[in-house]
Amino acid sequence: MIPVKYFSFFIVLSSSISFAQVGIGTTNPQADLHVAGSTLVQKDFELSSLPFVTSSDEGFKLLTRIKNSSPKGKISILDVDQLQVAPVNTVNYEFKNLSLDNLRDVDLQYDADKYVVGIANFRYVGDAIKKTTINGKQSVGAFVMRTFIAGGTWHLEIRNRFLDLAAGKSIKYYVTLIVYDNSYYRNLPAIVTDLNGSNTGTASAVPNLYN
Amino acid sequence: MKRYYLVVFLGLFLFGTLGAQVGINTTEPKASLDVQGDARFDDHLFLEEPGAYNIIRGSKLLINTTADEMLQYDIEQSKYGPINYVQFAFKNTNTIGLEDYNTKISTADYLVTVQGYYFTGPNGNTNIMPHSRDSDGDIEGFQMYAYPNAETGTWFLRGKFNNASFRAPTGSGYGDVKVDIYMNLIIYRNKFISKPQTKITVDMGGNETQTAPLPAGF
Repeated sequence: MIPVKYFSFFIVLSSSISFAQVGIGTTNPQADLHVAGSTLVQKDFELSSLPFVTSSDEGFKLLTRIKNSSPKGKISILDVDQLQVAPVNTVNYEFKNLSLDNLRDVDLQYDADKYVVGIANFRYVGDAIKKTTINGKQSVGAFVMRTFIAGGTWHLEIRNRFLDLAAGKSIKYYVTLIVYDNSYYRNLPAIVTDLNGSNTGTASAVPNLYN
Repeated sequence: MKRYYLVVFLGLFLFGTLGAQVGINTTEPKASLDVQGDARFDDHLFLEEPGAYNIIRGSKLLINTTADEMLQYDIEQSKYGPINYVQFAFKNTNTIGLEDYNTKISTADYLVTVQGYYFTGPNGNTNIMPHSRDSDGDIEGFQMYAYPNAETGTWFLRGKFNNASFRAPTGSGYGDVKVDIYMNLIIYRNKFISKPQTKITVDMGGNETQTAPLPAGF
């Protein structure tokens, strides 16, 4: 063993030094650097040759960095089982006791600044809407199903806008809403293109997807 | 032995304050601490100022394996993706559409959603429509969805118009035809980035507008 005094002197004189296996809080390091305790890196943290996932790995979790930990920047495992809200959430909805077919505006209450809400697994369960004769021609109306933002929250519309279900008939709607957290999913500005009566076109702007 | 290590790291602290650098397996460290080899952190790791990356392309997410190894997530090499798109094409489907189809996708591992669909008639003919079997005057609703089958533990698909058949021009008039149904599925891996929330039933109370309850945590 190197005498303690001599070793300290050596360190102070050197501007840089190289070690083989180093343990911190352990006398038996299991890696080139083994910290048996917490580690705080105050500036850049670079991983030059981190290996890739293999085709046999399963059950792995994403890593995240927590901004408001103490100290700041704790690296944590993203375990959706322990989170109330995951990056992607699916919520099954059933809508009953409708006014005819008209689910005109349901406030889903998801904050539009925090989430993007999409529709999947649509089911129309119940009676048919009757076609209506207008000027001798039968119309099927216009069935609409969409989510939209109003008053800072996401809303849902499902209905035949033009026609109504006959009184005494009933429908239930079922959907799965996909609720994406904006920390992981971008809500990009709408792309508006005036087609001037044409039925073909080219995007007036490209979504900012290539940065 | 314990004291030996303590002194070394007192030394390292000195280096920190002096702005010098420490290398492990290198005599030319490129950072305050440069480990030319692997590193193991038994407890928390804090990165105070790692900087932000504002470019979508050219970066990889980091994952932690069940053996607690940090790896780069490469979707091409991985056994599975977090979000997967696949189109199911049902050729020559019965004229009433698709009643039950076992995807054989595990309900334990995945969450399956139908997020779009279209259909064509024989030979890609787009001149096809759903037609009510109850009355020519009925506009039937559709159901295009995935649902879990508890018995098989797999996701099933259904794609049809209620009480309807698909019709296309046949000689002089219109008749029932087999249909090609295309469903766009988005499949989420469970326990990775997605989570199913509790079902919500909204009683509209006979109104056109309503406020739905928000799931906990949102």
